Amino acid sequence: MSLLEVHDVSRNFGGLVAVDHVSFQVEQGEIFGLIGPNGAGKTTLFNIMTGLTAPSRGQVLYAGVDIARLSPHRIAQRGIARTFQNIRLFGDLDVLTNVLIARHIHAQSGVFAGLLGLPRARHEERRARDKAMELLGLVGLTGQAEARAGSLPYGDQRRLEIARALALEPRLLLLDEPAAGMNPNEKQVLSDFVRQICAQLALTVILIEHHVPLVMGLCDRIAVLNFGELIALGDPAHVQNDAQVIEAYLGEEG
Amino acid sequence: MSNFLTTYGALIVSMVFAAMLALSLYLPLMAGQLSLASPGFYAIGGYVAAILSTTVFNTGESPYPLTFVVVEMLVAALASGVLAMVIGTLALRLRGIYLALATIAFVEILRVLALNLPITGGAIGIFGIPQPFETSLGYLWIAGPMLLASAWFVYRLERIRAGRALVAIREDELAADAMGINPTFHKVMAFTLGAILAGLVGVISAHFLNTWNARQGTFDASIAYLAFVLVGGSRTFLGPIVGGMALTALPEVLRAVAGTPGLPIELAQFLREGRMILYGILIVAVAVSFPQGLITPALLRRKRAVKP
Repeated sequence: MSLLEVHDVSRNFGGLVAVDHVSFQVEQGEIFGLIGPNGAGKTTLFNIMTGLTAPSRGQVLYAGVDIARLSPHRIAQRGIARTFQNIRLFGDLDVLTNVLIARHIHAQSGVFAGLLGLPRARHEERRARDKAMELLGLVGLTGQAEARAGSLPYGDQRRLEIARALALEPRLLLLDEPAAGMNPNEKQVLSDFVRQICAQLALTVILIEHHVPLVMGLCDRIAVLNFGELIALGDPAHVQNDAQVIEAYLGEEG
Repeated sequence: MSNFLTTYGALIVSMVFAAMLALSLYLPLMAGQLSLASPGFYAIGGYVAAILSTTVFNTGESPYPLTFVVVEMLVAALASGVLAMVIGTLALRLRGIYLALATIAFVEILRVLALNLPITGGAIGIFGIPQPFETSLGYLWIAGPMLLASAWFVYRLERIRAGRALVAIREDELAADAMGINPTFHKVMAFTLGAILAGLVGVISAHFLNTWNARQGTFDASIAYLAFVLVGGSRTFLGPIVGGMALTALPEVLRAVAGTPGLPIELAQFLREGRMILYGILIVAVAVSFPQGLITPALLRRKRAVKP
């Protein structure tokens, strides 16, 4: 069984068809790329997978269960975490708190246990802090734990978003343009980092990216969207040579 | 000193009430929800105390037994809590200014009901509410510990998982939702906690004031509490406490100033009567210059850093 199965999903906004009868499957452990020109429906598809937008039709099966119309926090609790294209950190809060907030689902003690500082709540709190610091270490932000998230440089904010998403301990991680605004060197570092966490944390990753060399080098398989339609699906070499893709996206020179 | 306490006993107790009422508005605001419903729950708490103490608990004992006050508080907490869960679940679908409007409407509905129902004494209200203490200052025996408890409660809340969830919702509800936090649950929880606190203050206040009527818990009160929080500070529990106390003491200070000889009559009059105008001006002035209020977490951190 595939980890994620997008089955005949469509989404209209008024007269605009943002996603048009899209179907594909993502296997456990895969790094799966989602590419396409601006407005192709990539982010809408992410929003459908994470419950921020309901599909007009179709199903999204995650580990065999349809999650297409669940609320975002229920989907997050099931193990799908994401980052946002237009960074949505808790900008006024410090870096550590941003990650701590995403540990929410991994603690069980209630409000009153927390208020009274009962041993179990204190233990959970300490574990959450340790885990958050560990994740900051993983993305290289240990030194900035006390800094205001909104004051970080752009690249650090993107890495903090990844740390926050990882704090959920997801099985499936959705990265929405994680390399946007990075220079080629940073892009390479990010690419290695994604491959590393994917192996280390037994993650499945779906990523949206505009930078073609990065996607081609990183992804096991790629789906290409154009005007909401899936026009190609396969390994990088196959997609790169697809006539429709070349016309729609890669340009005539390929 | 004892002379000061007798003169200002009532004011000191009012300041403690104000601090708690400001906290009751601060709680939903932690999750970014601007609710002005606190005066409504305060009024409900007051009517619970007024009705119970003048009917079923009216044994003629003097002073009025504290156990009865405690029972009234339990009833008021239950009534406010249950009502808040219902109202909250419905109203918290609204955002920003629409939520504020809905809660103002709620306060108005309660006021009109209180004015017209026989059980609340109509326009006259309820008189002769028995007193558990002989002096105004005696009320500090209840109000003081209550303030300490509620301050501790909110202080702790700001430092645990549930409080972080509220702040996450305030910062970005959608991102919080995507991080596994249920926004509706947490918003209703914060709203309900605030409502229970306001209801409890209403109980003590009814005994303290000796009389309760539809003038308690009005739109004016909504604005006053909002001023407490916005002026004092909306990002740490100390803000509403300091704001509530300072703004409640302010009219008394101004009244004293108005007494200085040689002041133009109009100015003296304004200093005596212009409380609500002053609150309005303060809200605007502070909102423009100090959007997070006068006491901010950054300010507190700086204070701590200065200490050796």
